[in-house]
Amino acid sequence: MRVTTGVVGQLVRPVLRALPRRALGAGAGAGLLLAALPRLLSDEPDPWTALLVLRGAALALALGLTFLLDDPARQVTVAVPTRRMLRAALRTALVAPLAALWWTAAVLLIPAQVRPPVGDITLEAGAAAVVALAASAAAVRLTDEAEPGQRVAIALLATSMAAALLLPTEWGLFAAPKDKWWTPGHDHWAFVLAGAALVWAACGPEPVRRRLGGFALPRRLRSTPAH
Amino acid sequence: MSAVLEKAPPAERADEQRRSWAAVLALALFEARKLLLRLPVLLMFVLYAAWIGWTMRDAWSSYPALQDVDRATQTGPLLPALAVLLCANQAVLRSQRQDTDRHFDVLALEPWRRTVGFALSVVPAAVLTALLVAAQFTWAVLAPGSVGHGSVGELLVGPLTVLLAGTAGVLLARVVKSPFAAPMLMVLAFFSILFLGAVPGDSNGSATRWLVPVIGDASSKTLPSDLLGRPAVWHALYLFGLALTLALAAVLVNGGRTKTVAAALVVAVGLGTWGAVGQAAKVSKATTDARVLATLNPAKVQSCARHGNSTYCAFPEWVPRTGTWAEVTDHVQSLAGGTAAQEKLLVRQRVEARYGMDADGAIEPSTVPYQVTVGTRWGGPRVPEFAAAVSSVLVMGSEKATGSLCDGRMVTIMWLALGWQSDPLTQMRAVRLDDSVSGSAIVLSPTNPMSMTTQQTDVVRELLTAGPNKVAPAVKAHWAELTAPKVTTAKVAQLLGVKAPAGADKCE
Repeated sequence: MRVTTGVVGQLVRPVLRALPRRALGAGAGAGLLLAALPRLLSDEPDPWTALLVLRGAALALALGLTFLLDDPARQVTVAVPTRRMLRAALRTALVAPLAALWWTAAVLLIPAQVRPPVGDITLEAGAAAVVALAASAAAVRLTDEAEPGQRVAIALLATSMAAALLLPTEWGLFAAPKDKWWTPGHDHWAFVLAGAALVWAACGPEPVRRRLGGFALPRRLRSTPAH
Repeated sequence: MSAVLEKAPPAERADEQRRSWAAVLALALFEARKLLLRLPVLLMFVLYAAWIGWTMRDAWSSYPALQDVDRATQTGPLLPALAVLLCANQAVLRSQRQDTDRHFDVLALEPWRRTVGFALSVVPAAVLTALLVAAQFTWAVLAPGSVGHGSVGELLVGPLTVLLAGTAGVLLARVVKSPFAAPMLMVLAFFSILFLGAVPGDSNGSATRWLVPVIGDASSKTLPSDLLGRPAVWHALYLFGLALTLALAAVLVNGGRTKTVAAALVVAVGLGTWGAVGQAAKVSKATTDARVLATLNPAKVQSCARHGNSTYCAFPEWVPRTGTWAEVTDHVQSLAGGTAAQEKLLVRQRVEARYGMDADGAIEPSTVPYQVTVGTRWGGPRVPEFAAAVSSVLVMGSEKATGSLCDGRMVTIMWLALGWQSDPLTQMRAVRLDDSVSGSAIVLSPTNPMSMTTQQTDVVRELLTAGPNKVAPAVKAHWAELTAPKVTTAKVAQLLGVKAPAGADKCE
């Protein structure tokens, strides 16, 4: 169908109402709380802990964003004429300005003298957010779960912790600004961002699974519910 | 008839009780299997096993001390603990997510018994962690040259962390029924703890320091196990009490308000508090005294063994290693000439234990003639460092005299220390602070370091390249001149038949 501004305009209000506001709010709140720690608790904040809590804040929002595509009414909305890609894009577009505003606030909460390079750290946060969106888009695309958010959040959290622990220092993904790996690390972050964006775009359309197995039953009617 | 009626109900109730506990056990087994087969848990256990393999890859050549290995088992289990927390939480929320909660209303099994089942389902994950910890520790015990004693309290921390994480996940799901609570709280808790841990001012003996599951040390040295002063058993008790408290709290908030649960909760809180109070205590006077004694007057607590000409005194846990030290001493002494070749050395193990594991301190060189200091570690660069200490004492007479050394005798010292090794240039790299084989550098030893000038380095490298068969007779023949005070490097080079270096020595 042709996408007109009229359709989008009509969709804005229901999509806004359907946003998982509590999960996003929890992520944003947790992130702001982390970013405020240096001002709240330490007299002489140091650059390393400032970087640490800012990364924590970015991860918290990314975890909130994994719930963005959760749609409890998925088995119903799959039949509406507006494509899922458009609905998902609209959700993202509605959240994006708020997320940008939130990130500005988080960065400003870090005292200026210990703030890491803003452009680079924003690249990291952007990459984390896009990875979260791509992972949830992939979960929606590849399964017929209505609310894959929690699984994706667990996977993202476990992966990021394991990556911080196990990835070689030379990759520089979790370097400190004074390290020599900081600059190559941010090239790698740019690659992560680009790769995640590609996956995200590829997972946009609704799966064409009906050709293979007939119409998928709602989850709870099937004999072996995945958990 | 009436008698039968009176007796029947209690029997029926007991039977029902037994059946419902069987159902709890069945649920626990089912959930445990499901938890262990979840992809995040599986992957984290695989990663954890790989981490064990990676950290223990050189255990057989690094002479591990078991009182260090037990603490090294604690960080790895944090990986499965993270996955177990999140997945146990998700498992409890499954019925809500799939809208099957109301089906449980028709079951005889009360909701709180289901919670008991979920809490029990994380036990196998903790047992699996315990097996992996045991495997890691056993590997170090079997390693040739391992010394010391592990502590059960330290070894239990890993499995108890997993148990604690699992029960925390169950409690969280019973308190906050939202799917995003567990990941968010994990991130908050993880980064806050990292942040608070990085903020300075957390002095030693602080009561709050021990409240987190895994506590690292400021120092990485090896101490005799009785001087560590870590409240390991108290901490294990604290973790166990805390895990039990969380599990019982989950049962309680889920409607299990029976007297048994309340009593068990009181006991669990008591255990946890007992452990928390115990671990918050300051290092005991006995341990502090033992640390001072071991640092200032180690002879009182050491046992000595004789190998060949020399005597080796070590803390009891290291006595089996004296033979290994003797091999090095004998090799170095066999290259020396004059009276040094027959000198009776006293090799004494020394530590700086007064600050416990909170800070490091250098060991002062010994002033006693012909006494050599050896540290608590062995393997890798520690071998040539000890050899350098032995050769410096053979040449200079005591460790203290080495401090003012600034002449050609350094060449003899380094040749004695390295000449007998099969790959002397690699060992030379290892014993020098900057890992170089040219230019001036600091040479490490168990006590104060020594320094080599560029010229001395050149001569030593020439000598090591020439091989021991050619140089050893020359060293023995010219021993008196080589060890005379103020001998120049050029003179030493000429005596030993290698090219004299350009330029004069200049000590830094």
